[in-house]
Amino acid sequence: MSTFKYLIAALLLFGTFTGCTIKAVGDPERPITINANVVVDIRGLKQTAANIEDMVAKGG
Amino acid sequence: MSVPRNSHKQKGALKFFTRLAFFFSMTAVLGVQPVHAAQYDIKTMTPEVQGALDGRKQRYDTLLSAKGSGSIGENNQGYVTVLNSSSGADSLAQPENADRSVIYNTIVEQNGLGGGGMEKVQIAFAEVQRERARGGDMIQLPNGDWVKK
Repeated sequence: MSTFKYLIAALLLFGTFTGCTIKAVGDPERPITINANVVVDIRGLKQTAANIEDMVAKGG
Repeated sequence: MSVPRNSHKQKGALKFFTRLAFFFSMTAVLGVQPVHAAQYDIKTMTPEVQGALDGRKQRYDTLLSAKGSGSIGENNQGYVTVLNSSSGADSLAQPENADRSVIYNTIVEQNGLGGGGMEKVQIAFAEVQRERARGGDMIQLPNGDWVKK
């Protein structure tokens, strides 16, 4: 029985972190607004900036 | 009383699937953490951003000279600042900053970086400009102080 519980817990955890499809039922005239926090990776941006500055410098 | 062989098999299978599910769960949990830097780019080369890049390329050497003479410096917002307006650096800084603004806006929009994205893009470009500044160029530090590199 405890093994079964672990299995269920593991599956729930798996579903939580891998993403689930959430279907919302509501009034189409009143769309739901979700304010998402966008996480920006500064390292990725620096790489982009470096690439663009390289391009500008080479064309100069 | 002996346990039927099938019962052992079922228990073994259950144990296997439990471990498998646990493994995938942990993979998923660890997978949430960013391992590599995210990739941001100019995904669509619009005529506007192409014009901005071309403009920057064309004035690159002139801008280097102006930076070398100390009339223009790299500020901590990813733009150039005129430090000596009597040298006619305004006519160089204005289009340069306009082109940079187009590039920054394009990165924010095309990568869906949201409201706070512009500030981060500017900071990233400012850091790169500081790192690439030559000895003697004026740069503004994150705390706002201007220093000669």
